[in-house]
Amino acid sequence: MFERLSVMLMKEFLELKRDRWAMFRLIVPLIIQMLVFGYAATFTVHHVATSILDLDQSQASRSLISHFVATSRFNVVDVTQNRDDITRDIDQSTATIAIVIHAGFGRTLGNGQSAPLQVIVDGTNSNTALIALGYLSQIVAQFSEDQSSRAANFRADTAVPEIGISLQARPWFNEGLDDRWFFIPGVIGTLTLLQVVSLTAFAIVREREVGTLEQIMVSPIRPVEFILGKTVPFFLIGLGDIALVSAFGIFWFHISFIGNPWIMLLGASLFLLAALGIGLLLSTFSRTQQQAFALNFFFVNPLFILSGFAFPIAAMPKLLQWFTVINPLRYFLVVIRAVFLKGVGFEVLWPDLAAMALLALVMLTVSVLRFRKSLD
Amino acid sequence: MAYKEMLQIRRDPRSLAIALLMPLMQMAMLGYGVSLDIRHVPLCVYDQENSQQSRAIVDQFISSGWFSISQTLDRQSDIRHAMDRGECVAALVIPADFSRQLATTGSANMQAVFDATDVNTTNIALGYAQGVVAQANAQIAADWNASHGVHPSPVGQIDLEPGTWFNETLDSRNFIIPGVVAVILALVGAQLTSLTISREWERGTMEQLISTPVSALEVMFGKLLPYFAIGLIDAGFCLISAVAWFGIPFRGSIVTLFVTTTLFNVVVLGIGYLISVRIRSQLGASQIALLVTMLPTTLLSGYTFPIDQMPAPIQAISLIVYPRYFVTILRAIFLKGSGLSDLWMPLAGLSCYAVIILWLAARAFRKRLD
Amino acid sequence: MSADAPAILAQALTKKFQSFTAVDHLDLSIAKGEIVGFIGPNGAGKSTTIRMLCGLLRPSEGSAQVAGFDVSSEAEAVREHIGYMSQKFSLYGDLTVRENLRFFGGIYRVARREIDERMKFAISMAGLEGREDRLVRTLAGGWKQRLALGCAILHRPPILFLDEPTSGVEPEARRRFWDLIHEFAADGVTILVSTHYMDEAEYCNRIALIDRGKLIAIGTPSELRAHQLGGELFEVGCAPLGAAMKALSDAPGVVDAAIFGDRLHVVLGAGGLDAADLPGFLGEHGIEVDQVRSVPPSLEDVFVQLVSGSPEERMIP
Repeated sequence: MFERLSVMLMKEFLELKRDRWAMFRLIVPLIIQMLVFGYAATFTVHHVATSILDLDQSQASRSLISHFVATSRFNVVDVTQNRDDITRDIDQSTATIAIVIHAGFGRTLGNGQSAPLQVIVDGTNSNTALIALGYLSQIVAQFSEDQSSRAANFRADTAVPEIGISLQARPWFNEGLDDRWFFIPGVIGTLTLLQVVSLTAFAIVREREVGTLEQIMVSPIRPVEFILGKTVPFFLIGLGDIALVSAFGIFWFHISFIGNPWIMLLGASLFLLAALGIGLLLSTFSRTQQQAFALNFFFVNPLFILSGFAFPIAAMPKLLQWFTVINPLRYFLVVIRAVFLKGVGFEVLWPDLAAMALLALVMLTVSVLRFRKSLD
Repeated sequence: MAYKEMLQIRRDPRSLAIALLMPLMQMAMLGYGVSLDIRHVPLCVYDQENSQQSRAIVDQFISSGWFSISQTLDRQSDIRHAMDRGECVAALVIPADFSRQLATTGSANMQAVFDATDVNTTNIALGYAQGVVAQANAQIAADWNASHGVHPSPVGQIDLEPGTWFNETLDSRNFIIPGVVAVILALVGAQLTSLTISREWERGTMEQLISTPVSALEVMFGKLLPYFAIGLIDAGFCLISAVAWFGIPFRGSIVTLFVTTTLFNVVVLGIGYLISVRIRSQLGASQIALLVTMLPTTLLSGYTFPIDQMPAPIQAISLIVYPRYFVTILRAIFLKGSGLSDLWMPLAGLSCYAVIILWLAARAFRKRLD
Repeated sequence: MSADAPAILAQALTKKFQSFTAVDHLDLSIAKGEIVGFIGPNGAGKSTTIRMLCGLLRPSEGSAQVAGFDVSSEAEAVREHIGYMSQKFSLYGDLTVRENLRFFGGIYRVARREIDERMKFAISMAGLEGREDRLVRTLAGGWKQRLALGCAILHRPPILFLDEPTSGVEPEARRRFWDLIHEFAADGVTILVSTHYMDEAEYCNRIALIDRGKLIAIGTPSELRAHQLGGELFEVGCAPLGAAMKALSDAPGVVDAAIFGDRLHVVLGAGGLDAADLPGFLGEHGIEVDQVRSVPPSLEDVFVQLVSGSPEERMIP
């Protein structure tokens, strides 16, 4: 068993060594993607393009506008006195938010009455709209507070105490609410999955196409030996991938890593085994590289979308939630995020680790069983 | 030429079924899977006081509909455990002197702890929580003022009157589904075309064709025409299911939709054709193709992550991710009812793309003739 | 396996791919140390038969024993006893000669103390001395093919399956290859080799002719030549060839007429036209004849005639 396995391994590494482009193909796309997606994947809302229609032209309205100009959350692109400008800005997506300050705004406020402030949001991107509206109400609240404290000083009254409950938000695990912390671990998992699944599937299909697979199949080698020989190198490559992109996340994107590296290694290993299982399974269904390519496309995309990478699994319908149960990426994302950001250990993560182990076992077994028959 | 291709497709009903069903399957998967609407944030409550007033505020959280209580805790450390196990995303901590503080000073503190791993969910949940508290505060302030005889602040409050255009309910589905349609058409279209044409290479029928005096352009158009028809049918399926099944409002004109979809289809097929011609000549290129098509389409097309929030270099890269133009176009047609003139920018981008791709595809094919 | 048991035995071996029958009730028995040539046009079912015998494909019907083991139920035991070389060159192009040999030696678990000697033997057999460290993909066709044979015999298999081993190899290298095959047979190795080169068939002890999945004749080259034709063979130089063939195929006593290069091969049976009658007969049809001579039949003649007729009628009695 070990003799055959070791010659298989030796052969794989020799081939890899001879392939001068291999290192390039393995590493460069990974780093480029890590960089691009690390920056691209964000729900953070900054510099919301804002148009302001000031029909009041009072000190109060100008002060309100200056509150918007001062924050980086909003980017005031247009201050106008023409109502049509606002409609045009929103229609052409020059602005996402338009604020209408009606005539008499300052006077009404000065009289101690409440003044309406109209806000128009382009809801096309509901997420941005929702978050921008939240920021907007914070700024308006800030403005009101400034106004009342100024009024209080002016009248030399005692400051009016704040009435009501003050909600103190405590975001744990990610105090800066930096959503890169959320996405980068996800990008690490997704890139590894893509890389490993396609490498494995293509490696076996290529042997099939070239004819060497047939030559090996007439030998008394056992399917387990062949499959192990094929997968061990990719397992090692996968571990290298994870280490590389993780290092990138930690040192380039400054994601905190507070967990136990051993748990990470265990999670990564189980995840890689499951990913290898998927790749092997795909390879037993494809005769040509093109077919492998197509299968890859159809299977990996849902795996990635339905993993909780960006879209909370809790927000999916029940049926799809069930589907995610057989998705190894789902479990790995839980593990990798927990290890990076929460620093939790085995006692919490064991169900996810066990699920990945089970999936890996099932998929590897099925592909070994299917392998022998697959020339028929 | 196109007729022959049509015949072949008809003889192979399995491929045809895949070509027509695949987009619908992906549509169902992504249409439902891609959602950011968090309706019932699982909330843990650690109520140190357990008074009438503290319970009242908890009830207000529940009745808002945004939160569902997953657990009531007895210890501060339990919050950590519950969050580690993923049993709650947010936890409410009410201090022991909550109602006393409120009664004597009129103000009290309350802590909202979030599992901020998922920042977006945290932001949204925090917004919900602030809304609930603000509502409660209005009542508390009114009661306080009434019982203490304090007159309202001399400075008026601002009443925010938010009005949302285009997607009035702020339903993330309305925003995401048109993007999903674009992404599916991009991925499935290119995939099917490249696959079926590569099969022709494999069987050697392509060599046969090359040896005939058919010109490269004729071959290309002959090959692509039937797939073009299938692409349009697929687009029809996806768009109809977006409106009829997912209930996305459609405010634009069918003509605009047709013109833009046709243009997009040309680009998609051109890419598929290019891949099939290229991959044949380069082993291993398929791996790169996979890596460079799928993730960029998902991440850089703007269908989930807004492009204008990305750093400038990434925005520049996204210019070459062709589905981004169609994502913008579809969204504008569906939600804003934009016409062709409003869409000149993405249309120009897409047209440039079409020209370049077709030119490259025609050239790539001619090279194979040598 | 007893000494006189056949090395390869197929009984009603059949392989169907959906509705297409690639191999149709094939019976074959090959004794130890025989070289049997498998001859037939492309798509006749040669490769499919060999793949079934190697345990690569499962027979749809019928059975086969190789080295005394059943190919479907004891495929692993079969694999221990065979060497296989496929029509497609199937070594690792990115590995050197030595690395390929070592790899296949390891896969077949050639004993450690033996491997160096076996590798040396394979290298000298393939004539690759001094090229041990060349990458295989940089080798010329004949060398590649001899190296593939070397990889297939590293573990001293008693039975060798060679599926069109010489396709695409220049004649000189082909001859050398056949010398090697004869050396193995002399050592007692049983060899089943498929080819579509008719001249190679002459090198075999026995020939199995296969067409459209059916075995249509089997015998030594001289047996086939002697018994199969059903008459005497004449070479006729005439013009135009097409019209001559048409005229002759309906003529009495003509068993077969076929075009061979720029001449016509005509088989004449008893009780009809005679060789001497041919110029006259063809002359009546307006065909000019410049030469008629008796020629010894080649296997190609036999094959062409067998394939053109219905197999049942032409089987050896």
